Amino acid sequence: MKTRTAKRISVLTLLMTFVLLTVSATTPSGSEVMWEVYNRDSGETMSANLIMTITNSRGSVRERTIAQYRMDKDGVESKLMFFLSPSDVRNTSFLSFSYEDGRSDDQYIYLPALRRVKRIASDSKNDSFMGSDFTYDDMGSRHPDLDTHTVLRKETVDGVSTLVVESIAKGDEDYPRTLSWVVDGEWFGLKKEFYLPNGTLGKTLTIDTYEEIDDIYVITDMTMRNVKENTSTRIQMEEVEFNLDFNDSFFSERQMKIGPRR
Amino acid sequence: MQFFTLFAKRPFLLLLTVLALSFIFGISIANNATLETDLDEYMPKTHPAFMASDEAESLFGIKDAILIVVEHPEGIYNPGTIEKIDAITGALQEEFDAVESVTSLTTADNIKSDDGFLEVEPFYSGKTSEAAISQMQAEVEANPMIYGRNVSKDGTATLIIAELNSDMDAEILQNWAKQWEGPETLMVAGRPVVEGALAELGPKDMAIMFPLVIITMIILLFLLLRSLRDTVLNMVIVLFGTLVSFGLMTLLHIPIYAVDTMIPVMLIAIGVAYGIHMHNTIHHLMRSYPDLSKGELATLSLKQMVRPIIMTAITTAIGFVALMSSQVLPVRYFGLFAAIGVLSEMLLALLLFPASIYLLGKPKYKKAKADLEIQQGKGTLSDSLQALLLRRPKMIVFISLAVLIIGVWGTSMVWIDTSFLANFEEDSTIAQTDQFVNNKFGGTSTLNIILSGDEADLFKHPEVLQAMDSMQEDIEKDPIVGNTLSLATFIKQMNQVMLESEDGSYSIPDSQELVSQYLLLYEFSGDPETLEKVVDYEYTSANITIQLKSDSSAVLKDILAVVDSSRPVFADHAIEITYAGSGYKAFIFSELLLEGQIISLALSFAIIIILLALLFKNLRIGVVGTIPIAITAVVNFGVMGLLGIPLSSATALITSIAIGIGVDYAIHFLEHYTNERLGGSSLKQATRSTLKHTGRAIIFNAIAVMGGFAILMFSVFPPNRQVGALIVLNMATSALGTLTILVVLVHYLEKKHVFLPKRISDNNTRRLS
Repeated sequence: MKTRTAKRISVLTLLMTFVLLTVSATTPSGSEVMWEVYNRDSGETMSANLIMTITNSRGSVRERTIAQYRMDKDGVESKLMFFLSPSDVRNTSFLSFSYEDGRSDDQYIYLPALRRVKRIASDSKNDSFMGSDFTYDDMGSRHPDLDTHTVLRKETVDGVSTLVVESIAKGDEDYPRTLSWVVDGEWFGLKKEFYLPNGTLGKTLTIDTYEEIDDIYVITDMTMRNVKENTSTRIQMEEVEFNLDFNDSFFSERQMKIGPRR
Repeated sequence: MQFFTLFAKRPFLLLLTVLALSFIFGISIANNATLETDLDEYMPKTHPAFMASDEAESLFGIKDAILIVVEHPEGIYNPGTIEKIDAITGALQEEFDAVESVTSLTTADNIKSDDGFLEVEPFYSGKTSEAAISQMQAEVEANPMIYGRNVSKDGTATLIIAELNSDMDAEILQNWAKQWEGPETLMVAGRPVVEGALAELGPKDMAIMFPLVIITMIILLFLLLRSLRDTVLNMVIVLFGTLVSFGLMTLLHIPIYAVDTMIPVMLIAIGVAYGIHMHNTIHHLMRSYPDLSKGELATLSLKQMVRPIIMTAITTAIGFVALMSSQVLPVRYFGLFAAIGVLSEMLLALLLFPASIYLLGKPKYKKAKADLEIQQGKGTLSDSLQALLLRRPKMIVFISLAVLIIGVWGTSMVWIDTSFLANFEEDSTIAQTDQFVNNKFGGTSTLNIILSGDEADLFKHPEVLQAMDSMQEDIEKDPIVGNTLSLATFIKQMNQVMLESEDGSYSIPDSQELVSQYLLLYEFSGDPETLEKVVDYEYTSANITIQLKSDSSAVLKDILAVVDSSRPVFADHAIEITYAGSGYKAFIFSELLLEGQIISLALSFAIIIILLALLFKNLRIGVVGTIPIAITAVVNFGVMGLLGIPLSSATALITSIAIGIGVDYAIHFLEHYTNERLGGSSLKQATRSTLKHTGRAIIFNAIAVMGGFAILMFSVFPPNRQVGALIVLNMATSALGTLTILVVLVHYLEKKHVFLPKRISDNNTRRLS
């Protein structure tokens, strides 16, 4: 992880840009906004270290560090993750392939102490991501066609102009209604609220830091708070890199056993 | 004395006072009475065992659960039943605020692994095709985490477990469950159901039985006393005592606890005695001195009875006040207000009878057939009793000794046990449902063993997990244990799944890394909340849940002994063992209750000896006077031992109170006897006169109380039946003991001149003034 072109965007610059943008452009429809979000450039390849801090309802904390590698190629998103800490789970790894055509994911897990790779069947994107308050859905990008979207209003969050988009799930979901605060023109969320079937607030996602790295906006610090369970998970990203060269066999069972070396 | 004579001379003032007080207390009861049925309110919350349990309960989310059994005799694996289970699971969560979470066959996840393919999927896919259901059945039967725990092994029944976050009226749920019946049968079980039913049933049954007791007592009193007037006076006294007791309680805004439903029962048994003795003395005086004026009769009867009635009331009240040493708040209140009731009965008895003479004139007593003084051929009944006693003293002593020996033998067989379930008839719905769950599943009762250390990740150590596993194995050897569940169980299950059931894979792996990696995987794939119930977030303490097929404290004690034997193993890892859960708290609670009652029983014995010695200014009288109640206690425990009635907090309570009442007979006897002797009567004369006079009152008293309480033996509620039976037994023993062995002993000791001091010339010095 050598050179890194991280440039902290000044809030003032952002504000000015977005004010100009919103004034000039007509407001896009809800579904247009969410398609923009979905199609936003997130780099074909990426690597980063995730620091995940999970706090339970009693205030106890578990911290985990994960090295994550990602590649989007030919309609397949490949992800490989290695636990770096705590030490007793070091090198435990996860490999997943998500398919754009809607096939269900392929997932593998490798436990170094067992020296075995297992395939995991998982259909549910609502499953918790690594035992955190995030679901796999929250971590990736949800297909816009799964919900009906409406722009409710414009709102300025921390000086940034956003569009507040209400998304109502078409299918059966844990949180059938969500509100997203999407940065107008840049198409990433700054804030998201998840509502339970009974209409009460279930969990909230807040973005505390984002950076522009290699011309891509990266959220480097976010926290999901489960209001009902009184738990929270903070994910920080470090050493973010884009445009990496992975050799063809990197996203493989073999690599899972080798560990986080390229 | 002065107070009583002066007050009795003003009968209208007395009536007005009684009416006014009754009115105040009655209004207060009507407005303020609240029945406290929540058993948690009984627990001494600051007791260390309770505090530790509460802390663990909050750490591991240990909650009381209601179990809903869905039974289909032909098997639950059919679309209709499975869909119904799913619907009930959803409805429970939605319709009841008190329900925190629901676990059922349709919510549970299965984790399995074949050919390197790990699957974490719910057992219920939402599909009810024949293929889907038979696959579900196969998966359930392959998973010991659910098979035999949530689904019966024969496949005819399953449990829906609703954890509660607050108390819930079990009856509402029982009625609610009915709408889901057919062809399935639904049953509701679990501790909240049993406790709820118990707290409701006891007082409810007492409310039905209590009027019956009163009616029976009225009839018996009328038959015995042959006087409507004295019967009414007696009932006024006992009802007034009850009114004062509950009136004060409600005036002070103290809630009525379930144990307080015993107060009216006790006050009737006790209060009737005061009235009967007053009646007896008045009756006797009129017979001996037919020409007494109203005032003379009132004053004379008072003069004779003030001392023994005050004495007996004080000894009885002491029995109650001794209960205030209890650590359990409701028991303390019970003791206090029962004592107040007794004292107010005593006051009223001493006032009402003389006042009735002033107001209504001298009573006209009819000749009674039941009268002991009626001529029966050769002599009176009391004469023949006396003849028997004095002619065959050795036989009486011999019989008494035999009874004592059998009693002690029986006492040695008394077992201590408290069980909520034992309070229900075997054919009652609650007992039957409980039986059903115990047969088909792990059991209705739970015990939580809490292991706590201070080192982080302690419970990832294979040795610690292995120690837990082997302790669980030891515990499971007891047939009363249905199953155990802990972090070790999860790790074993995970190991088996990951090793694809190879030989010996249902075990704890030797590597801490592997344990940690399993746990990580479990967190990702299962629901982390399941783990939070067995281990804390830092892995420094763990919870082992034991399912028991009985809620008996004796059973629990056996399990605790097994756990205690593995303390040293855990001590090596600096792990402490404590317990938690409502079952354990109830156990500690009844131990406390029982311990308190045994202490207060011993305490009242000691106090009664001292009090008798002080009152009669003679230690020997104190000792001899307690002999009938000592026999009563031994016979009581002996009968319990022989009939297999366990000593529980309820039976111990009755015993200690019955003894407080029983001593009254001895006091009346000794008072009359010593007065006779001090008045110059010969040995024989004194015995004869005492038997004639006091014997009649004692027998009337015993018959009335026994007859009244015999009614309770027909109650539908077993604990109330025990109360009835024990009161009848104790009254009979006390009366019989007083009229036989006490008479013989006093007579014998008198002969040896070791009983009464040679001469106390002036018997007026002993009067209470």
